[in-house]
Amino acid sequence: MAKTYDYLFKLLLIGDSGVGKTCILFRFSEDAFNTTFISTIGIDFKIRTIEFDGKKIKLQIWDTAGQERFRTITTAYYRGAMGIMLVYDITQEKSFENIKNWIRNIEENASADVEKMLLGNKCELNDKRQVSRERGEQLAIEYGIKFMETSAKASINVEEAFLTLASDIKAKMEKRLEANNPPKGGHQLKFAETRKTETWLSKCNLL
Amino acid sequence: MTDEAQIPEQILNNKNKHSVRCNYCYSLILKPQFGEYVEHEFEMPLMQQKHRKDTEIIETEVLKNFWCIDDIFTFENIGFSNTVDNRKFLICADCEMGPVGYHEIANKKCYIALKRVRHGSEPDAVMEPVTDEEENDV
Repeated sequence: MAKTYDYLFKLLLIGDSGVGKTCILFRFSEDAFNTTFISTIGIDFKIRTIEFDGKKIKLQIWDTAGQERFRTITTAYYRGAMGIMLVYDITQEKSFENIKNWIRNIEENASADVEKMLLGNKCELNDKRQVSRERGEQLAIEYGIKFMETSAKASINVEEAFLTLASDIKAKMEKRLEANNPPKGGHQLKFAETRKTETWLSKCNLL
Repeated sequence: MTDEAQIPEQILNNKNKHSVRCNYCYSLILKPQFGEYVEHEFEMPLMQQKHRKDTEIIETEVLKNFWCIDDIFTFENIGFSNTVDNRKFLICADCEMGPVGYHEIANKKCYIALKRVRHGSEPDAVMEPVTDEEENDV
């Protein structure tokens, strides 16, 4: 059977416990349906399909599944990852400070050209904010990566974040392809604004 | 939920005639003609375990009708559980209801139980209000 997609991107979610990966990614909402069997064994990864620029992109997304508690995410976990969402909680200073440690961990274990993005999650809790938006932006600039504040709970920017990361990975891949096979006649690749699609990400789960 | 009596009308060219969607939130799991119809018996854990405190007992039901998917990336949206006995269970990627099927690590195939999903050709079904008939199905 012909391939049903144009790109397949493997993405990871990294960050301290409690920044919203576990409760938001896996089951953020209390009114989400409960299934006792699945909650007992836990979720490994999800496959999502997005479309933009007329291309069909499959995302395979993992979360650290509690491994981050031991502060050691192994090389095995990073293997094959093309994109990483670094997540902190804007109401937890410590989770923001630890982003630097996570970046170091990524540099030591992941492939050097992995695309990264910084997310300040729980931005709906502005009254409990400990990390200003500017500090988030500044840190992202320092590492040369993109930044967004998100709220999985209020469905703010989550879909945009995944589209941005996927779009950047796609751009990087196409650039590399183009470098290997220079096009004739000065053809330039264009990356149009990402198209809005059915909003699976805005439903409730980050993942 | 798709009743056994409705199964023949779901099959076209031995494949799923309609889109496969989550029973509960309508999330699109599989597009038409990507799952091959197969029959075998499988003891699938119930979505809701009644003996919640006794985790040793897993209540199951025997299911017989499945859509077989060779490549996990054929799915539009799907979640995979952690591995239990060389298998992963499949759940809705949005509301996480499940198992809607299982994945055999050994042959890399996925099996979606027809009884645990709904079938609809309407691509905008997600946006549509639930009709009385569909409510009864849930």
